[in-house]
Amino acid sequence: MKTTTTRAPGGRRLRYAVPAVVASASLFLAACGGGSDNGSDGGDGGSSGGAPAADALDKAKGVTTVAFWHAMDGTNAEQLTKLVDEFNSANSGKIQVKATYAGKYDDAITKYKAAIQSKSTPDLIQVYDIGTRFMIDAKQTIPMQKFIDRDKLDVSDLQPNIAGYYSINDKLNSMPFNTSMPVLYYNKSLFKKAGLDPEKPPQDLAAIRAAAEKLSKTKGGPADYGFGAAIYGWLLEQFIATDGKEYCDQGNGRDGKATKVLFDQPESVEVVKWWQQMVKDGLAANTGRDTKAAQAAFKSGQLAINLESTGQLGGYSKAAKDGGWELGAANYPHIKAGTDGGPIIGGASLWINSANHEDVNQEAAWQFVKFLASPKSQAAWHIGTGYFPISKGALNEPADVSYRKENPLFDVAVKQLEGTKLSKATQGCLLGVMPQARKASEDGLESAINGTDAQEAMTKAADSLKGQISQYNSSVG
Amino acid sequence: MSTPVNSTVGAEGRRERWIAVGYLLPALIVFGIFIFWPLVKSILLSVQGTDILGNPSGFVGGVNYTRMFHDPEFLTVLWVTFAFTLLTVIPSIAIALAIALLLQSRIRGVRFFRTAFALPFAFSVATASVIFGVLFNPASGVLNGILSHLGVDKVQWLTNPDLALWSVSGATVWMQVGYNLLVLSAGLGALPEDVLEAARLDGASGLRLQRSIIMPLLTPQLFFLIVVGTIHSLQSFGQIKILTVGGPENRTTTLVYSIYEQAFANNNSNYGYASAQAMVLLLIVLIITALQFGVLERRVFYR
Repeated sequence: MKTTTTRAPGGRRLRYAVPAVVASASLFLAACGGGSDNGSDGGDGGSSGGAPAADALDKAKGVTTVAFWHAMDGTNAEQLTKLVDEFNSANSGKIQVKATYAGKYDDAITKYKAAIQSKSTPDLIQVYDIGTRFMIDAKQTIPMQKFIDRDKLDVSDLQPNIAGYYSINDKLNSMPFNTSMPVLYYNKSLFKKAGLDPEKPPQDLAAIRAAAEKLSKTKGGPADYGFGAAIYGWLLEQFIATDGKEYCDQGNGRDGKATKVLFDQPESVEVVKWWQQMVKDGLAANTGRDTKAAQAAFKSGQLAINLESTGQLGGYSKAAKDGGWELGAANYPHIKAGTDGGPIIGGASLWINSANHEDVNQEAAWQFVKFLASPKSQAAWHIGTGYFPISKGALNEPADVSYRKENPLFDVAVKQLEGTKLSKATQGCLLGVMPQARKASEDGLESAINGTDAQEAMTKAADSLKGQISQYNSSVG
Repeated sequence: MSTPVNSTVGAEGRRERWIAVGYLLPALIVFGIFIFWPLVKSILLSVQGTDILGNPSGFVGGVNYTRMFHDPEFLTVLWVTFAFTLLTVIPSIAIALAIALLLQSRIRGVRFFRTAFALPFAFSVATASVIFGVLFNPASGVLNGILSHLGVDKVQWLTNPDLALWSVSGATVWMQVGYNLLVLSAGLGALPEDVLEAARLDGASGLRLQRSIIMPLLTPQLFFLIVVGTIHSLQSFGQIKILTVGGPENRTTTLVYSIYEQAFANNNSNYGYASAQAMVLLLIVLIITALQFGVLERRVFYR
C-alpha cells in the first residue's frame, strides 16, 4: 500500500499543527524585551537631584502611600510585615506603606528593570548587596546621604562595617537592612570523638585540613567528611577579604569603575587548590552549588566543619538539638594565620527611587527607612530573623540582650564584626556585573574541584568576564 | 444561462470566504499577539545591543551572532542540547512502548497498572523535579541511602560533570513516559481487529505479529511522539533550573537554559544576545522537524 496516497486526516492535521508549536518554541523571550523608549532619559531627578524639602509631608494632604518591593519570604516576610504594620499604625492617616513581595533577589531586580522602562518603579526597593553598583548606574534613586545631610542626622549608630559596603567616599547610597556574615560552623561532638579540642576550632586553611585528617572517614575519623561547603562564590569572596586582598581592581571598584576581577590572584588560587586537594583526598565533600545540599549534610552530622552565613544559625541550632550534638561557631577562617583582613557583610539594602517620584513619596519612604534602621526595629528584626542588626544600639536593647544570652553563638558574629578593620578589602567589590562575576568564580572553583588545574580554571573564569565588564562600563558611560 | 449561475456561485464564494475569515479571526488575533509579534520582536532584538536596563541600545548588525559562533561555550551548549534530546526522546518512547505492549496482555488489574504507569503525566515538571531533587540529594538523598545500605559508594548524581546530564535526562524520561504511554495505549486499543484476526489466521503470533503487523500499524503514533517529544525536549527548562541550574561546569546547560541565563539570571539582561540564541533554537527546531517529516514520515503507515 502506498502511504502517501491514503493519508488520514489525522496525519495532515499534524503537519499543520507542528509549525505552530515550533513557532512558539523559542520566542517566549521577546515579550519580555521591553519597550523601545530609553529609560535613562526618564531620570528627571536621578542621583543628581537633591533631597526634597523636609516639610514635603506636612504640606501634603491625605495619606501618602509608599510602594515597597522586597525579596523576603517565609519567616523573614512575616517579621517584615510586623514592622510595616507597626509603622503604618504609628503613622495612620499620614503614611501608608504597601509592602509587596517581588520575588527572590534576582527576580525582584528583573522586575525592577521592567518597571524602569514603564516608569512605574516602587517608591522603595530592597536590592541585594551585589546589585549595588547596578543601582547606582541605573540612576533612578536618591542617595541616603542627601537625607542624612539635610536632617544633619547622627549616623554613628550604624555599624561602620555594614554601612561601608553601601558607601562610596563615605557617602551612603542605600540604607543597609538585612545583613548577614559568614562564619565557620563546626560539630563539637564530632570534634570530641576525633580527639580534637572542641574549644579550638581551626582558623586557617592548614588547620582545617589538619582537623579534617582526624575527622574524615577515609582516615578512620567519625564524620563522612571533615569539611564541606557549597560551591558558593560568596565564600571565595570572603577568603580573599579575610586575607586583606581586593576582589576587583580600582580599589575594589571604589576609586573608579572596576575593569577586571582579581579572583585569579595567587591567594585566591591557593584557596581553590586547597579545596581541590581536600576533595581529592576524601577530606571534603563536594555537594555542588546548591547551598541547601551542604546545609543538609552538615545538619545530619555527615560534615564536621562547614562555612555558612549567620542566617543559618537558627536552623543549625535546631538540627543540633534534634540530633543530639553540640554546635560550635567561630570566626571565618583566614587563608594563612596572622593576616589582618576580615569578612565582608552580605545581605541587602533599601533604595529610595526619585526618578518619576513626587517629593512627598520620597520623604515618606525616608521616614519608613529611618524607622526600619532604628535600634528598636533592628533588635526586633534581629531576634525574629537572625539577621545581623545594622544598628549598634540594637545590641543594647533588652530584648536583644536576652536573645543573645539564649543564643550565645551569635556573639561570635558580633565580635567578628567589631574586630574587623574597615578597609577597601572588607568593604567588598563594587562591580556592575557582580552577580555574573560570582557565578564565574563558581564555574572556576567547580571545574578545579572536578580536576582542572586551579590556576588555569580561575584564570579562564576571570577572563570570561572581561567582555561583560567592558560592555557594562561602556554602556553606562 | 451560464452567467446567472456563475454570479450566484461568485456571491456564494465571497460569502463563504467572509465566514471563513470570521472563524479564523479570533485564532489569528491570539496567534498574532502571542506568537508572530514576539517572533518579529525577537528578530529585531537579536540585531541590537542591550544596555544595562535591558533596553535595546541600537542596531549592531550581526555582532550578537558572530559573538555566539566564536564562543566555545556555545558549542558546548549545542552539544548538551542534542545529547539531552537523544537521551530523553528515544528512551521515553522505547520504555513507554514496552509497557504499552505488556499492558496489552489480558491479566487481572491491567487497568490499575495502566493508570499507575500513566500517572507521571499528571505531575507538573516543577513538582517532579523537586521530588527528584530529594532522591538525588548527595547527603540525605533516597538513592544514595539505598546504595549505602547495599554497601555501594555514594554517587554524585548531580554534581559529577559526567553524570549530571544522565541524571537530569532520567528524571525527564520518567516525566515523559506517562504521556507517551497514553498515546501508544490508545493506538494499540484502536488496532483494527480484522487485520489482527487475518494475521492470526495466517499463523502469525507473538513476536512475528508484533513486528510485522502491530508496529507498522502504530507508526503514526510513534511518529507523532518523536516529533512532539523532540520539540518538548528541546524546550525543557524546569527540571534543569530546579535540579542543576545548568551545572556542573555548564554540562547541563541546554540552549533554552542558556537563553534564560543570558536574559534573566544573575541580573543579566542581554536580551539581544539571548534573542540571537533564540533564533538558533528556532532554526534547529525547524530543521529537525522538517527532517523528521522528510525522512521518517515516509515510513509512516497511515490507514
